[in-house]
Amino acid sequence: MEKPRTGVYICHCGTNIAKMVDVQAIAEDMKDTVNVIITRDYKYMCSDPGQDQIIKDIKEFNLNRIVVAACSPRIHELTFRKALQKAGLNPYLFQMANIREHVSWVHTDRAKATKKARALVSAAINRVNYHEPLIERSVDINPATLIIGGGISGITAALEIADAGKKIFLIEKSHKLGGHTAEIDLTYPYFYSAQQLIKPLIERVKNNKNIELFLETEVKEISGYIGNFETIISSKNTDKIPCLPAGRKLTFGNIIVAIGLSPMDPSPLKNYGYGKFPDVITSSEFENMLLSGNIIKKNGNIPENIAIIHCVGSRNNDYHDYCSRICCTVALKYANQLRSALPKANIYELYADMRSMSKGCEELYTETSRKNIMFLMFDQRNDLPEIKKGNDKSAPLIIEMNEKLSGETIEVPADMVILMTAMEARKSAKEVAHSTGVSLCGNHFFIEKHPKLDPVATTTGGVYIVGGCQSPKDIPDSVSQARAAAARILGVIVRGTAKVSATAAYINSSLCCGCQMCLSICPYTAITYDEEKKVSVVNEVLCQGCGTCVALCRPKAINIYGCSHIQMMTELSALLLSD
Amino acid sequence: MPDFQPKIVAFVCTWCTYAGADLAGTSRIKYEPNVKIIRFPCTGRIDFMFLLKSFAYGADGVIVSGCHPNDCHYTSGNFHARRRWIVFRELVDLLGMDINRLCFSWVSAAEGAQWAEIVNSFTEQVRTLGPYKEYRELAEKDKK
Repeated sequence: MEKPRTGVYICHCGTNIAKMVDVQAIAEDMKDTVNVIITRDYKYMCSDPGQDQIIKDIKEFNLNRIVVAACSPRIHELTFRKALQKAGLNPYLFQMANIREHVSWVHTDRAKATKKARALVSAAINRVNYHEPLIERSVDINPATLIIGGGISGITAALEIADAGKKIFLIEKSHKLGGHTAEIDLTYPYFYSAQQLIKPLIERVKNNKNIELFLETEVKEISGYIGNFETIISSKNTDKIPCLPAGRKLTFGNIIVAIGLSPMDPSPLKNYGYGKFPDVITSSEFENMLLSGNIIKKNGNIPENIAIIHCVGSRNNDYHDYCSRICCTVALKYANQLRSALPKANIYELYADMRSMSKGCEELYTETSRKNIMFLMFDQRNDLPEIKKGNDKSAPLIIEMNEKLSGETIEVPADMVILMTAMEARKSAKEVAHSTGVSLCGNHFFIEKHPKLDPVATTTGGVYIVGGCQSPKDIPDSVSQARAAAARILGVIVRGTAKVSATAAYINSSLCCGCQMCLSICPYTAITYDEEKKVSVVNEVLCQGCGTCVALCRPKAINIYGCSHIQMMTELSALLLSD
Repeated sequence: MPDFQPKIVAFVCTWCTYAGADLAGTSRIKYEPNVKIIRFPCTGRIDFMFLLKSFAYGADGVIVSGCHPNDCHYTSGNFHARRRWIVFRELVDLLGMDINRLCFSWVSAAEGAQWAEIVNSFTEQVRTLGPYKEYRELAEKDKK
């Protein structure tokens, strides 16, 4: 191996790093480290000029190792590896030190933060000496795709891929397709009928020969990896539409998770009296009324004073911190539909902040405000309205609230109250996350690979997330994500192969004692025993690079590319001995 | 010893705890600067020899943290780490080392605040124990 010639780059990240870490001092200090040829600090290493500098230096100074100290490698490791590749260097001759997420953003003492950053950079510089050029492996892609969830997102993705001639297994938990879209009347902001949107799509799914539909079916365990997943499905339903004998094995190359979300049960918010007052109903219940064409109270009469309360369980520290995103505009839609159906009724919108932000939605707000609808603002953080029993016949309910704009305490008379309940993650999210190997955020929504640059992929290769299971979203956003994921998968199918991490275990057969303990511990059955040579052998295509066998191996015969004994030991010693 | 700044190294998996520590960063949660992270693909990869070596190289405390049980990206690496940990803990105890210098935890990608909490409480715990000299002295003697 040629002698390492290392370039070290310390990123300011604007002021994100530079304000808490003395980047210039670290760049200066590292100049004399063994094998370091050049050190630089720069405003934004990930920018084009930053990457170009690395490429230029590799050529000019004949560098063969690169260290970048910047943000988390989970964000930009790939960016810099590509830069190395552009300069003709193997992308694995690279190491990142995370001095933003793990240093500058979490510490408050500049001297201590700089000291820690220096140790991390020094560890990376020492470790990179032992990096070797690695070749990314490639796996064949099974052209079939599994889609979990038959709502608007799942259906759209299924049609997009199936219309391109590729096989789809569409799994739906309930007895019918369409999800929430099939349960709503009109859509905002243009009042298209949701039924007219979804029904033709459902027909197309049923008639598409490339889509195999499984209703009342759930996915339990999925095994495999990108390009080569498999699962065994069993269905309760065997007589209706194309369902199949229990326990069929499906094999597929990619997965789309589209399990959607659920409306929250507002019962725990005692101030709204849901469950106590029969005419306090949820937005889903009101949507059913609209679908049936009958807006009536529990006693069968037509309501005269209708209040719509926003942010029920959303933006509320006791329930969900996040904004459910669609409810404000749905509430405006209700006001419009109520106004057309009941021209004489009093309609009140009790809101915390009006967030009608999608295309055409602010316009809907302006239009709605001209339709004799009373808008009243309350303080969502400290002062929620309270529904009480009223005495008046036309107003059996009284909503007591402190109106924020006027500063007055008022009583709103009502005989029907619609609660705009929060949208929350499905109960089954955890189970699906486990079977697909995707992480959930604190609110149990699925976590995307990158919040800005890679919103439909996940950190698990071949698994994509679309629609409401990623965060609350409306139909256009769900459809966009579904088509985006479909396009990504079609791209992979057309290529026919996918690159997988170069990190894989290998066995030094002269050290292997043939104990075969590694065989039983490998989760991918990637290790086999060579009876003739009496040693274990790793199948590098099956190996996912977890390294569990490496730590287990007593004679230290197993090692792993990208996380070898010498690399980790060097990183450890430099990390601790450098300060 | 209030001014004592313990040196602590954390061996974490990239999928859960490393991501959780990243989230603590993006959420700008402030915590003690004493813990330095080494990233592994999986806690299953962590050879417990690394832990012993840490003390030889001057660590005062060591953290091992990965995905919660059943959440392992590689399905079962964290279970193997846990088994190894149970054996290792006994061994460390037998060697006469204070097991309070070791911390084993699960931190998911969503638990940025929990990571900060673990760092702070463990730093405080090790600070109370004071610097770890015994093994280091032995290692020094070994060198000579």
